[in-house]
Amino acid sequence: MKFLALISGGKDSVYNIIRCVQEGHELVLLVNLYPKQIGIESDSFMYQSVGTNAIQAIAQAMDKPLMTREISGTPKITNLDYQSKEEERIGDEVEDLYLVLKEALTQYPDIKGVSSGAIASTYQKLRVEDCCNRLGLASLAYLWNQDQFSLLDQMLHNNMNIILIKIAAMGLTQKHLGKTIQELYDYFKEINKKFGFHPCGEGGEFESFVLDCPLYKKRIQINETEVICHEENSFAPVYYLLIKKYELIEKN
Amino acid sequence: MVNFTVDQIREIMNKQQNIRNMSVIAHVDHGKSTLTDSLLCKAGILSAKESGDKRMTDTREDEQLRGITIKSTGVSLYYEFDINYNNVKEQFLINLIDSPGHVDFSSEVTAALRVTDGALVVVDCVEGVCVQTETVLRQAMQEKIKPVVMINKIDRAILEQKLDGETMYQKFVRVIDNVNVIISTYQQEDMGELQVQPELGQVAFGSGKECWAFSCSKFAMIYAAKFKVEPKKLQERLWGDNYFDDESKCWRKDSEGASGKQLKRAFVAFIMDPICKMANAIMEGNMEVANKMFNVLGLKLTQEEQKLNGKHLLKAVMSKWINAADTLIEMIICHLPSPREAQKYRTSYLYEGPQDDAIAQSMRECNPKGPLIMYVSKMVPTSDRSRFFAFGRVFSGTIGTGQKVRIMGPNYKPGKKEDLFEKVVQRTVLMMASKVEYIPDVPCGNTVGLVGVDDVILKTGTISDNPESHLIRSMKYSVSPVVRVAVKPKNPGELPKLVEGLKRLAKSDPLVLCTTEESGQHVVAGCGELHVEICLNDLEKDFANIEIIRSDPIVSYKETVSATSKIVCMAKSPNSHNRLYAQAEPLHEGLQNAIEKGEVTAKDDNKGRAKILSEQYEWDKDDALKIWTFGPDNSGPNILMEKTSGVQYMNEIRESMESAWQWSSKEGPLCEENQRGVRVNILDCVLHADAIHRGGGQIIPTARRLYYACELTAQPKLQEPVFLAEITVPIDSTGGVYNCLNTRRGVIIEEEQVPGTPLSLIRSYLPVAESFGFTAHLRGLTQGQAFPQCVFDHWAILNGDPLEPGSKINELVLSIRKRKGIKVQLPDLNEYLDKI
Repeated sequence: MKFLALISGGKDSVYNIIRCVQEGHELVLLVNLYPKQIGIESDSFMYQSVGTNAIQAIAQAMDKPLMTREISGTPKITNLDYQSKEEERIGDEVEDLYLVLKEALTQYPDIKGVSSGAIASTYQKLRVEDCCNRLGLASLAYLWNQDQFSLLDQMLHNNMNIILIKIAAMGLTQKHLGKTIQELYDYFKEINKKFGFHPCGEGGEFESFVLDCPLYKKRIQINETEVICHEENSFAPVYYLLIKKYELIEKN
Repeated sequence: MVNFTVDQIREIMNKQQNIRNMSVIAHVDHGKSTLTDSLLCKAGILSAKESGDKRMTDTREDEQLRGITIKSTGVSLYYEFDINYNNVKEQFLINLIDSPGHVDFSSEVTAALRVTDGALVVVDCVEGVCVQTETVLRQAMQEKIKPVVMINKIDRAILEQKLDGETMYQKFVRVIDNVNVIISTYQQEDMGELQVQPELGQVAFGSGKECWAFSCSKFAMIYAAKFKVEPKKLQERLWGDNYFDDESKCWRKDSEGASGKQLKRAFVAFIMDPICKMANAIMEGNMEVANKMFNVLGLKLTQEEQKLNGKHLLKAVMSKWINAADTLIEMIICHLPSPREAQKYRTSYLYEGPQDDAIAQSMRECNPKGPLIMYVSKMVPTSDRSRFFAFGRVFSGTIGTGQKVRIMGPNYKPGKKEDLFEKVVQRTVLMMASKVEYIPDVPCGNTVGLVGVDDVILKTGTISDNPESHLIRSMKYSVSPVVRVAVKPKNPGELPKLVEGLKRLAKSDPLVLCTTEESGQHVVAGCGELHVEICLNDLEKDFANIEIIRSDPIVSYKETVSATSKIVCMAKSPNSHNRLYAQAEPLHEGLQNAIEKGEVTAKDDNKGRAKILSEQYEWDKDDALKIWTFGPDNSGPNILMEKTSGVQYMNEIRESMESAWQWSSKEGPLCEENQRGVRVNILDCVLHADAIHRGGGQIIPTARRLYYACELTAQPKLQEPVFLAEITVPIDSTGGVYNCLNTRRGVIIEEEQVPGTPLSLIRSYLPVAESFGFTAHLRGLTQGQAFPQCVFDHWAILNGDPLEPGSKINELVLSIRKRKGIKVQLPDLNEYLDKI
């Protein structure tokens, strides 16, 4: 089936596209939601915001069209399954997803599926499914409920080059920004044991950006970044990496 | 001397009625080890070639040198005794543990008491009941140990002080009264009658040094024939207000005879007077009187003995007449319980699991065929100091070589895997002072050493073969490790050896704490200067075998709060989807102590504990039901409360909140010292609906910052440890004691004259921080005549605000931070406190 892919720039959304393609589906469109201040952390319950300013790079690397929409809503309904009355939903950040999917369908009426990188967050998965159901789309989430370390293994096995662009959990510090998953793999195991750290960052422990993978026709090279401190505290500081300049490099 | 084999010992181990597990406890220098030796002389012990040597149980070089016992040492003794007085001797096995008397080693006493059922309490008749006598008796009561008493060093009262019989009697009465008061103060209700009664033969009097001792039973046996009465009837008349009127040949309750003559009480007339007469005759060389007495008493001296005179002759005669070992063995066998008797009432205290499960039942019955349960009370280094024997007591079942067992550490929780190991016992051994003998297996009621389990037991543990087994209660020590010394190797390249040595040291001593600061500094903590010194010597000579450099002693402090947090503190999780709200407040001082003594614990039944908290510590009854946990180590004197209402998912974040609590109560915000007396009330939480967004990585750091913020806003204070210093000094030298205490912030609480001596006893509080070099200083100011005993007493709040820059306390806090290698500047509250 033809599908559109929700992407944040992070490893999970990109890897799920790889999985969809491996299952025989055809990618026709990339969709991204970005916060008002592009690239700046917005504390959304749904969307990764760090790295969205470089989302264009991924579309170029994959050579696919990209549809974007600014997030106008905020997290209003925070119960687990998005149970609410119609009128309460107006102004929720989830409705931005619904509207962008609806818009995509008018431009690409033969799209039947939506790819998302949900692994363990029931909260996010139920919201994506809610939007899909309302539009008669199938939700394609191959990573759902898989073991997080096994997923990391698979990603590395599929030659994905992934770096950390935000950290927000005990055990991670500023110095881990920009490091690749490959480099941090053993350390993740250690802090997983110590603090119950989720190695795929599903609890919001970190966010990532994919520099290269088999779907990319060109790879992304980052030329300039800035480290931004979102919150400084003694045990679990929150830092992120703002991508300022990048270029696409031909793969040999 | 009976020599016997391991097989014979193994056989007696099955006769539980004929086993006595006992320890010898007393104040330092009251003569435990010497007395123990006189017992060893009479006993059959394995490979007994060196018996007769002084202080068999002091096996270490430093023990012989200092003349004090440092480590408790076990030895199994074999006696034949006619317990039913029917001329049939039965075999008895006495497992005896000699323990140190110096306060600094009282954790060894606790470990000794745990594996025994009875205790011989030794009291010096001249010095009377001292501070450490009280401490060890209190420990014994807590562990449900039955006491008997030996009043020691009577030879000094007779020969040095020249006291008459009645004065001595009064002295003994006072000592026994003091002991009984302590027993009734601390005894547990279900133990029944524990008061020691001389008329029942539960008190012995004598001289360990001269190998003689008697009890009322002993003299009742001697006189029974003369009076033609039952010994049992007679022995009751040999104590108390009982007078025998020679003229009318009848017993009276008052001291006036039928003819108006003043009578001496039976104890004096029949016991003390003959002893004094004999002693004085021999010492004065009045052989005419002495020989006459030998004849009357039927004492036959050998040719060699006849050549002796003075003290040597006295010792030979007395030990022949009223032998110390005979008297003590009779007392031990008749008045201390067998394991079968003792485990009936000790099980409810020792076993943490349900009292009606298979293990508790088998423990109460002392059933060698029941499920195995054993408590390892200490780790004893092998002679080459490379490995350790796990020494302990089997309470149920039988343990043997090659058996597969479950080893549970103190943090094990039934049904969980934490702190649980499965291992095969490589060897079971008998521990005989400094020697070991292999033995195939050991049934319950006995002590045993295990080989091959030292890598999984840190200091103590419970061993069982039953997966349902709960733990044997952890030991509570009466002292705490408040004195610390930092160590480093002289040659920096030997650091790995030091680290390895510290690990072994930590295992070998029940109390010592070996820790590593963030700065990489290694710290050894003990309960007094002497304890730390001995530990460091062991480290240097035995465990690390390298030269080490020691810092000056460092004191442990505690961080506490003195008010309720002035605001409700809030902290946001890193993903900012969770918010936690809380406030801190101080805990009742009495409650802090009760928790440290183990009277109130995190494991208590919720309702029972709530009752105690509301009745004794002015807690709100509803509050008292909302306790989540204690800390640090789930057991310390800090309490985390869940006081939210209507917040979903609280139980799901409980584990994370508690683990942050263990962390923050162990390392407080001021200078990473333990906290004490802090209660934090969690008031509200806003949590993400999806569990994945509120895992440990999000909640633990947030909760920790929250607790820190709570404490920093609740007028934090420091507490310092304070010793109770008991100083015995001749009355004319008390001035030096005052001077010494004055310069060290000491406070005198009590001063009294020791009755019958020219000595004065001064009790005072002395901050541990001021105690280093105290003994030497004090001796210097009193021409070496003052003897201090310092034992940790309480924590005292240091006045002053640690947060106020430039204050004395602030400087202290900063210096601790500097030493630990953490950022010297005090943390800013905003680091921990978030705003919406």
